[in-house]
Amino acid sequence: MFLAVLTPKESGEVSRDAMLVHQLLQRDVDAFEQLYDRHSRIVYALVLRIVQQASTAEEVVQDVFLQLWRNAGQYDVRRGPFAPWLMALARNRALDHLRLKSERQRRREDQSEELPPIISVPRFEQALDEKRRAEQVRALIGSLNPQQKRAIELAYFEGLSHSEIAAALKEPLGTVKSWIRNGLLRLKEGLQAAT
Amino acid sequence: MSKCDQFRELIEAYALGALDAGERAAFEAHLANGCQDCAKAVEEARWVVSQLGYLAPDTQPSELLKGRLMQTVRNEARGVQRFQKPSGDIPFWMWAGVAALLVLTVYSAWDVRRLQKQIQTINERAAAEFRQREQLQLELAVAKRAAHILTDSNSKKFVMWPHDTQMPKLEAMWHPELGICVMGQKVPMPSTNRTLQLWLIPKAPGSKPMPSLTFWPDAEGKLVLMVENPPEVIADTKALAITEEPAGGSAQPTSAPMWVGGVS
Repeated sequence: MFLAVLTPKESGEVSRDAMLVHQLLQRDVDAFEQLYDRHSRIVYALVLRIVQQASTAEEVVQDVFLQLWRNAGQYDVRRGPFAPWLMALARNRALDHLRLKSERQRRREDQSEELPPIISVPRFEQALDEKRRAEQVRALIGSLNPQQKRAIELAYFEGLSHSEIAAALKEPLGTVKSWIRNGLLRLKEGLQAAT
Repeated sequence: MSKCDQFRELIEAYALGALDAGERAAFEAHLANGCQDCAKAVEEARWVVSQLGYLAPDTQPSELLKGRLMQTVRNEARGVQRFQKPSGDIPFWMWAGVAALLVLTVYSAWDVRRLQKQIQTINERAAAEFRQREQLQLELAVAKRAAHILTDSNSKKFVMWPHDTQMPKLEAMWHPELGICVMGQKVPMPSTNRTLQLWLIPKAPGSKPMPSLTFWPDAEGKLVLMVENPPEVIADTKALAITEEPAGGSAQPTSAPMWVGGVS
């Protein structure tokens, strides 16, 4: 059943991250470097996709990893696996950066989360290397119709709401809601079928 | 369609952060009411949303970023405070200020000590002058009293004759109220640890001499002795006598009188 959740220990990669984060609490520099090497590529790619400027992206990535170093205790292994947590943290920081320069900032301040919420891993989830996971996700999202894919990207990478996406794409609000929900369900089913 | 089913349609958009404010508030209120199924579904939807990060074009940060991060992390791991410059970078003007403050502090301490010594010296001098003034006032009072005794018509004057004819005679004046004044010149100084002592010899037969003051002449042999409250009244006194006694005086004479003067 899809709702079932795995503990992080059920994945070797997840437990490896959890162990390294635990070592950060002892101010282990080597553990930090390993975490950086394992995740900086996808974190930087995600942030750059959002902020669209390399120097700004590096600032945000630096902030994300320094927050991890200085407040490693903020990550709780019980709240989910490390990689999605770190990506959610990086996305929030990058979107916050965008909002600082945007008229939308005031309207969305209460959506900004300093720390990512709980993320549960579905039972089908297995540790995949980043390259394979990226191929899966791109293939699944790429199979959607272009407008549906665009709606999901506007929500994820630009932090737009249903209404803002509808306005941007000049599509009915209900259509946009359906696109996004169905697109994410299809991604979930696709990832499940691929395992 | 149950209320929970209605909210289930919002789960993915909520996890994505795409709900408009009204829907978001309503859904969060539903979660706050304790719907465990929706809460769990949201947690899983967040994982699906996190996978969208892989849509970002693959690229990697510069080595400079890693270098900066690792330098910061190593410094902090060594306990170096963030943003704190090493002490060697303290600007010269600050050192000059510290030095000036140090010099000022030392000077102030020295100046305070100097002033304290001055105040102590002044206090000691004032105390000495006060004591000297008291002594002068006392001497003045004695002199006034002596002058009064010497000039008052009520005073009785008599001579105290020396036992040794080589010694000078003394003059005595006794005023019934002001006391006795004994004066003389070239009075020899008593021996070491000895003093002169005045005695009043009562008229009553068998009475013992009444002890009075002990005294010394000054360095030049001048003697002015004032007895303000004689132990006997003039009418009951037969004579005055002076003997040499041990220092501190005696209750009864221990030597022969050196001077004797009949009062009445």
